[in-house]
Amino acid sequence: MANGQIALTLLMGVLLVAVAAFLTRIEDWRSYTPLAGGGGGTAEESGYAHEEKPGGLIRWLTTVDHKDIGMLYGTYALATFTIGGLMVMIMRAELLDPAATLIESTTYNGLLTSHGITMLFLFGTPIIAAFSNYFIPLIIGADDMAFPRINAIAFWLLPPGALLIWAGFFVPGLAPAQVGWTMYAPLSVGVGAGTQSGAGVDLMLLGLHLTGVSATMGAINFIATIFTERAEDCTWANLDIFSWTILTQSGLILFAFPLLGSALVMLLLDRNFGTTFFAVEGGSPILWQHLFWFFGHPEVYILFLPPAGLISLILPKFSGRKLFGFKFVVYSTLAIGVLSFGVWAHHMFTTGIDPRIRGSFMAVSLAIAIPSAVKVFNWITTMWNGRVRLTAPMLFSIGTISNFIIGGITGVFLAAIPVDLVLHDTYYVVGHFHYIVMGVLGFMTFAGLYYWFPIFTGRMYQRTLAKWHFWLTFVGTQLTFFAMLLLGYLGMPRRYATYDFPIGPVDPVTALHQVATLGAFLIAIGFVIHVWNFVQSWSEGPILEDEDPWNLKEIGQYTREWEWHHRRMETAIADGGDEEVATDGGKESNEEELTTDGGENVSETDCSD
Amino acid sequence: MDEQPGLSEQYRRASPWPLFIALGLPIAEIGVLFGLVPLAVGGLLLFVGSVAGIVQESGYVERPWNLLVGLGGVLVVLGGALALSQLTGGSLDGFVSALGSNGLVVRGVSIVIAGAIALGVGGVARFVETEPI
Ligand code: HEM
Ligand SMILES: [Cu+2]
Repeated sequence: MANGQIALTLLMGVLLVAVAAFLTRIEDWRSYTPLAGGGGGTAEESGYAHEEKPGGLIRWLTTVDHKDIGMLYGTYALATFTIGGLMVMIMRAELLDPAATLIESTTYNGLLTSHGITMLFLFGTPIIAAFSNYFIPLIIGADDMAFPRINAIAFWLLPPGALLIWAGFFVPGLAPAQVGWTMYAPLSVGVGAGTQSGAGVDLMLLGLHLTGVSATMGAINFIATIFTERAEDCTWANLDIFSWTILTQSGLILFAFPLLGSALVMLLLDRNFGTTFFAVEGGSPILWQHLFWFFGHPEVYILFLPPAGLISLILPKFSGRKLFGFKFVVYSTLAIGVLSFGVWAHHMFTTGIDPRIRGSFMAVSLAIAIPSAVKVFNWITTMWNGRVRLTAPMLFSIGTISNFIIGGITGVFLAAIPVDLVLHDTYYVVGHFHYIVMGVLGFMTFAGLYYWFPIFTGRMYQRTLAKWHFWLTFVGTQLTFFAMLLLGYLGMPRRYATYDFPIGPVDPVTALHQVATLGAFLIAIGFVIHVWNFVQSWSEGPILEDEDPWNLKEIGQYTREWEWHHRRMETAIADGGDEEVATDGGKESNEEELTTDGGENVSETDCSD
Repeated sequence: MDEQPGLSEQYRRASPWPLFIALGLPIAEIGVLFGLVPLAVGGLLLFVGSVAGIVQESGYVERPWNLLVGLGGVLVVLGGALALSQLTGGSLDGFVSALGSNGLVVRGVSIVIAGAIALGVGGVARFVETEPI
């Protein structure tokens, strides 16, 4: 113990000295020009201060540029998506047969918990932040985010958060948390004989707390940016749909995440310092569920609204029409944002809470279906009679709409108390929410990555590979998650490593689990193709000389971020190339994705289309 | 102004501080939660030091030292309150034995140590570093 303390002290001392040495090497303490008002990024240009960023690794460690931070978020999110995906592939392989053959059930539980938390907190929120960091300032005509440094802090909190969340797997002597992503008390308080009282759970809670702090900082930044940093001609009346959804989402984060943070601290106090917030004889485990779901339901809309905004943004571009009923799409976004705070107890219908409370929560939950349906109808009408071009981003958007219909309707069923009493805690619930988290958030991630690929890289991806990716993902998603809905009807409970118990028909359950696993492998193959396509096209694809690869000018939808892209291309050519855009070798522009050409009837666009 | 500009002076879109704020916070959290004194002290120092640095860099204050003193003071008060809330008598013996037996006192004291170091460093630097910018 004493030795450990000394070693820790030494380590910590070395770290602090190293940090201080590093800082004094790169930072001159007395050279700051006082910049009034702060805000950063707007420093007066003094003689030598003309470069934007240093080079190499230091650039990425110190950048406060919203585009770089967007790239960092994106890289991080794709890495965590891969890790969360690998976790679930092990679980799906285990579920191929009824008994626990591949891994122990405790390992399964650990993977299950980590998969859920990884996908929701380490992939979902960050990938949305990747798109919004990169594009919101460009779309609304801001120089950068309102607080560029806070933006960087918010990102850098995520890697330590991830390490803490996964610590149970790789730190010797710790066991991974097995409490599920909902961390229900009393299990999560450490009661019982399993590993749940170990430090692995504490570290996971700390990691979650950090990601919550990160999300909150990001949300404040987006709210401030959208309110105060818009260009003159970007008014509330013509604010674009993606910014509206990010604004609403940030509002939800602002009210939901601090609550999660406080609840986590209460849980940590219960676990380590003997408080009784969630003890059976104290505040009661039901209190945890109320606090958790008051955060948890808004959280699912935090993950849904921005992808919905991406659909509303991308769909019109490939339908040749403007978004149908723009105003109503905005209203429905706001309505969902408000209503989402009034439905949390639909996750608690089976806990024995007062039936009158249940009834009112059922009513509000059913009401959420209305704004959700408004969106779906507006999307369908946007495509109606349009000139639909089935590019990869468009395919993913259309696939998303169909997934959302299934995900949404199953949600309406679950919101009905009598149905939920039967289906609660079965695979039906798992199917329901995966149709949305994978079918909407996952799909729109890919749609956004393909749509803006030319802006990220100055090149075009390979169309055939992208189509393979789409079809594998789409078919895989249907197989996996529809099988789960059926498994739910058969009574298969969720969160089990085995199903050789005599409560139902084992054969059809086995068959459906195998279908689900098959689908999961299809999705995984599609993802490998996607990564390959991305990496290869980024490094070897032909340089795109067309500043309008999607022919948006023709339909009058050449939006600000593309104008910015165009300006950047021109500057790069004029300067003979800077580090951001490689211009050497000016090859033929690549038109493989283009289905139309001709008319350069450029129309003026404002920030709304 | 100096011959050699610092990183965030030279480059408009770079700052060394966010990374270290984001490193200091988790280290401090782990240290305080598990009662690991070196981590708690080091993490808190890294955190408050970087906060003072970034606030100066953004131009909200001219020198970081007063802010560092202030943040150190806050830590001393918070940690002191935590430790004192656990002590019954005012005797030194009682305090020493509580250090051995009561984890909350240890945590409170580690926060006080971090705060005191920040106070000291900030206070000294404030007077040593008097040259105008
Ligand atoms: C039409 C709107 C929706 C309704 C009425 C609805 C309703 C419900 C209900 C009643 C449950 C509880 C089922 C149970 O545990 O017995 C549930 C679970 C869930 N829903 Fe939805 N939902 C809707 C949309 C969404 C959306 C957009 C998401 C976005 C990601 C989502 C994600 C989830 C998740 C993650 C769970 C499971 C939570 C858990 O682990 O227990 N739902 N939904
Ligand atoms: Cu819900």
